[in-house]
Amino acid sequence: MADQSDVWLIVPVYNEAPVIAEVMNHALQTFPNVVCVDDGSRDGSAGQIATTKAHLVQHPVNLGQGAAIQTGVEYARQQPGAAFFVNFDADGQHQVEDVTAMIERLRSEDIDIVVGTRFHGDISHIPKLKRLVLKTAVTLSPRGRRLKLTDSHNGLRAFNRTVAEEMDITSNGMGHAPEIIEMIDRNKWRVAEQPVNIVYTEYSMAKGQSLLNGVNILFDSAVRRKR
Amino acid sequence: MAIKIILILAVLALLIFVLRSHGTNRGGAYVKIGMALFMVFAVYAVIRPDDVTWLAGQVGVGRGTDLLLYLLVVGIGFFAISTYLRFKEIELRYARLARAIALEQAARREENRPVSPDTASN
Repeated sequence: MADQSDVWLIVPVYNEAPVIAEVMNHALQTFPNVVCVDDGSRDGSAGQIATTKAHLVQHPVNLGQGAAIQTGVEYARQQPGAAFFVNFDADGQHQVEDVTAMIERLRSEDIDIVVGTRFHGDISHIPKLKRLVLKTAVTLSPRGRRLKLTDSHNGLRAFNRTVAEEMDITSNGMGHAPEIIEMIDRNKWRVAEQPVNIVYTEYSMAKGQSLLNGVNILFDSAVRRKR
Repeated sequence: MAIKIILILAVLALLIFVLRSHGTNRGGAYVKIGMALFMVFAVYAVIRPDDVTWLAGQVGVGRGTDLLLYLLVVGIGFFAISTYLRFKEIELRYARLARAIALEQAARREENRPVSPDTASN
């Protein structure tokens, strides 16, 4: 297996104590460098993370997923030898094999950032309502269309040092996905898509984004554009 | 007559309050000018309501009260948006502060962490 010691997995964690240690230990087998950003969890997630070899950064208060990702990026880019960075979920819905493939593309191709997409091949495993919401999000995003991104709200992304240095997520909550698409466009990062499998476990479904949250995201995007 | 005095005093008190409390916002000066004009208009409207009705007629609104109501709606909308933006900005600063604390604590924790074979190799 290729040496992955120049790769950093960035994992925002909010109340994931039941699964976090298992997910991290699995990921650590392939990727030795993981930073978990505990976003003010109240269920002992930090203690669970401490049982693994993952680095732990703890927000003193809950700030939101976007803020946690930004913290993780800032932590990881300070680490000596860090060349590639991955946004990875704490609840086990992302697959380590997909990350390996994405990193491989970053190493071999002329691209800065690889974004995962659920809309390649068979999509029947995606719950119907979720599919509708995601499709709507894509349709409403002119940037996403221009950049030929089919799944603008996919949380699995891998990127190189250029992107990590320039990344500055300002939406603390769930609005970071469209914000990153904006950054790709504005900073002219070379972007590619990678088909990935998202495993919708019961646990991740229960915590997933609701349709209503989509309204928040849309509103935040609209306001941000005006500034 | 008493109501006019009360309204004028209330408006003046509000004006002073807004001017003194609306701190260091960038667009703050414009907000203050807008507020001042609005207050002057409010005082004028209290003193000469017929003029407001006349003005309302000129701009195609039935009564002076309706005109005021419309202005109020616009004012509240503006206020809501500027407050929202202000909150966003404060939220961002707050996040950066919390992040700085988190990163510093994490760096200290890593220093004290026993060096295992895996981490030493990087």
